[in-house]
Amino acid sequence: MSNAMTHHPSRNLRRDVAFPVVGAVLLFGLFLGAGLLYQGLLGGHERLVTFALIDAVIVLGMQIYIGNTGILSFGHIGFGAIAGYAFALSAISPVEKLKRVSDAPFGLVDVQLDPWTSIAVAVVVVVLVAAVVGVGLARSGAESGAVSATVITLALLFVTHELARNWPDLTGGDRAGLSFRIGGALDTRVPIYLALFGTILVARLFAQSRAGRLAVAAREDNLAARAMGVNPLVQQMLGLLLSVAVVGVGASLRVYEKGSILPGDFFFNLTLVTLVMLIVGGRRSVTGALLGVGVITAGRELARRLGQDGFEIFGIGLDDAPLDWIFRENLKTVFLGSAMLAFMIWRPAGLLDDWELDRWLRSRFGRRRSEQPTTPPVVEFDDTDALVVREVDVAFGGFQALRDVSIDAGRHEVVGIIGPNGAGKTTLLNVITGLVPSDSGTVVLGGVDLTGRPSFEIARHGLVRTFQNLRLFSALTVRENIEVSALVAQKARDHQPPDVDALVAAAGLWEVRDRRARELDYGTSRRLELARAAAMSPSFLLLDEPTSGMSDAESTAMIEQVRLMAGVIGAGVVVIDHDLNFITGICDRIYCLDCGHVIAEGTPAEIQADPAVQAAYLGSSAQG
Amino acid sequence: MAELLQNLIDGLGRGSIYALLALGVAVIFGVMHLLNFAHGELITVSGYAAFWALDAGWSWYLVVPLIVLVSVATSLVIERVAFSRVRGADDFTLLLTSFGVHFVVSAIFLLYVSASVKTFSRPGWVTNTFAVGSLRIEVFDTVVIGVTVLALIGTSLLLQRTMFGLALRAAAADFDTARLMGVRSDSVIRGAFALSGALAGIAGIFWLMRAGSTVPSAGVNPMLKGVLAALIGGLGSLRGAVLGGLALGMAEVLLRSRLPDSVASLTEGVVFLLIALLFIFRPQGLIAVAHAERV
Repeated sequence: MSNAMTHHPSRNLRRDVAFPVVGAVLLFGLFLGAGLLYQGLLGGHERLVTFALIDAVIVLGMQIYIGNTGILSFGHIGFGAIAGYAFALSAISPVEKLKRVSDAPFGLVDVQLDPWTSIAVAVVVVVLVAAVVGVGLARSGAESGAVSATVITLALLFVTHELARNWPDLTGGDRAGLSFRIGGALDTRVPIYLALFGTILVARLFAQSRAGRLAVAAREDNLAARAMGVNPLVQQMLGLLLSVAVVGVGASLRVYEKGSILPGDFFFNLTLVTLVMLIVGGRRSVTGALLGVGVITAGRELARRLGQDGFEIFGIGLDDAPLDWIFRENLKTVFLGSAMLAFMIWRPAGLLDDWELDRWLRSRFGRRRSEQPTTPPVVEFDDTDALVVREVDVAFGGFQALRDVSIDAGRHEVVGIIGPNGAGKTTLLNVITGLVPSDSGTVVLGGVDLTGRPSFEIARHGLVRTFQNLRLFSALTVRENIEVSALVAQKARDHQPPDVDALVAAAGLWEVRDRRARELDYGTSRRLELARAAAMSPSFLLLDEPTSGMSDAESTAMIEQVRLMAGVIGAGVVVIDHDLNFITGICDRIYCLDCGHVIAEGTPAEIQADPAVQAAYLGSSAQG
Repeated sequence: MAELLQNLIDGLGRGSIYALLALGVAVIFGVMHLLNFAHGELITVSGYAAFWALDAGWSWYLVVPLIVLVSVATSLVIERVAFSRVRGADDFTLLLTSFGVHFVVSAIFLLYVSASVKTFSRPGWVTNTFAVGSLRIEVFDTVVIGVTVLALIGTSLLLQRTMFGLALRAAAADFDTARLMGVRSDSVIRGAFALSGALAGIAGIFWLMRAGSTVPSAGVNPMLKGVLAALIGGLGSLRGAVLGGLALGMAEVLLRSRLPDSVASLTEGVVFLLIALLFIFRPQGLIAVAHAERV
């Protein structure tokens, strides 16, 4: 199966980089143009524009993590503080350091590096810190969800602030701070331009990279991503390190431009400002983040002017206006807080949601495959990989959900599991795919013991499932949904899946391949979930009620669909369903569960004739 | 030994206030899955109410119930204005909404009242101490501990013995199922905010008595302590929140008195580091709450 998704690696690469580069040039040009326009025509402060450029670097740095992983971080400005101090301590001259921090530890007093090396030092330092913090984030995020990860980032912000305030030997303390004598502020904006352009490009390339796409999949549905073989912690860590490195550059530039650093510089206020910029524009989009920086900078400037001059802006004044009492000094903060609140309540996705300039350009001008690919050939299955489940017990509290359950499935067959509601069918599937731990028993695939392994490892070994209550990556397009598993399969499976486009076509999704998953109707969503699982090229497809909620005609069509998908990847099938037509129509063998126990096993005909099955599954009416 | 005992009593006093704050945070997390970063603003608002009342010549006997009332009212207003509009939204939206409320409230005081510190007189007994053997015990700490115990008993009676308590616990365990069983989500959520406001009010009385002043940013510290304590205890667990508050107070007092002088000023930082370590080794907090997603 070498006709994988990398048809022409070099051309794909060129195309994958060309649009982001063009997009980055345009975005950078637009952003800078707006700034220069304000500076030139409207008499805005030069410093305002300079700081907007630097803030854009920091906000895009935050976007790389927050936007792609969906985890809210208050800690990035804390990382910024660490980078800022690291930069200041390496760049300030020993003479100045003697005045401010004469007792600095680690012999830092005698260090002096040029500003550009200092930025590199700052980035290295802060990335190292982030690696340590990232382990904590990953562990607590995995155990108790994104909320606790967020609180840890908040704690980080406070730790750095406390350290900065109370470790005067290193930071100069709360009042004195560290200030520069290396020729004052930056005398040219060129380094800032370079940093911003580079940041835009890096942020877009990351979002398009394998790591970025898998992170986004986990953002959309963590559980489903893990069931497709994604270990979100890896992508989140990569995202964090890259994002913190960019924030480190931005923070260093900020300190450089400002000429000093105080503990309060990288604390609550900057956190608020940067977060508002990020969410107003749209945190899932690089374009949106830049737009947010522009909008909020303009809004703050307006609020500041209103606060300063009363109700007077650009020379148009209303003396003693009745609204004077509103426009006071601290209007900025009210403006920022209200903007955050208003967007969260009325438009949480921000102005642009996940719209990207370069993606739009690609959809307009990019060349794309227009002819529908033919259905891939049926693949010979490899029957050495049997699935063997032995003596599984699961109890939830006092409730015995599964008792001594054993099933076998070969890759040449379709095995059904039926049983009344609450019989333990989904629990069995959850145990097999590692979502629920079993109290005892084993799950073995092709001689490899998978019992108790994390679900993403089980998926990579070849057991991939669908969900009873559809779990698609809802913001991603149909094709992108399937690409996620294909990306995982590329690395994790030696047996490669068919080309993504061919799978899309085979699943009957060709017409809707660029639609978002959340826009699909129910039956189409089911087909997509099946195709997404198939793109992992698993040894077994485990389907949890693939026809639930379908009409008879649809479920009959689903039989063909499941056979086709299993055929083109050579996989065995284990399927749970209520629909007897479907089950008897597709299965070679059926297990019947009741009250967590296997009460019968056999061919569809045998199962239908079994009195125990009739009593348990079909109910008393079938007996009478 | 005597010093340790002294620390324990001090820590218990401090931890009691944190426990009340954390319990308020946990109650709301239970019904809405909202980690309330605006919790401290209840103390900001009631702090200004206390300042104005005392300034107008009210006695502390009147100010104490006023603080609780204002805190409950503020909690309900915030729920109505902001949180009721984002019910059921994702974590990200909920977190930033509460963060936004936090900023708006403090900014409003900054803008329309004053950025400067407003001080008020504290009741005389706050600084009194009495001796038991070699121990010097603050009257204040004993009052705090006593009132906290009463408040916790009251809360647990409310949760265990009343229909509202049953509904709230049911909602905290499984909100959707509770609704299907006829629990009215509106009244449970509002009740939770009222309860959380009352607990914050009681904590606020002590917080303000000890501080003797208020500023627009007065809510940051209580918010942080409450949120961290709830997290240490295990998000969503009410008992955990109380335990987390006591642990946090105890840790602060012990560290402050035991750390060498040169790093004593870094106590807060060290506490944060300890919390981070706790999460690396016990990510679910002290009391784990099952929150498995149903598939």
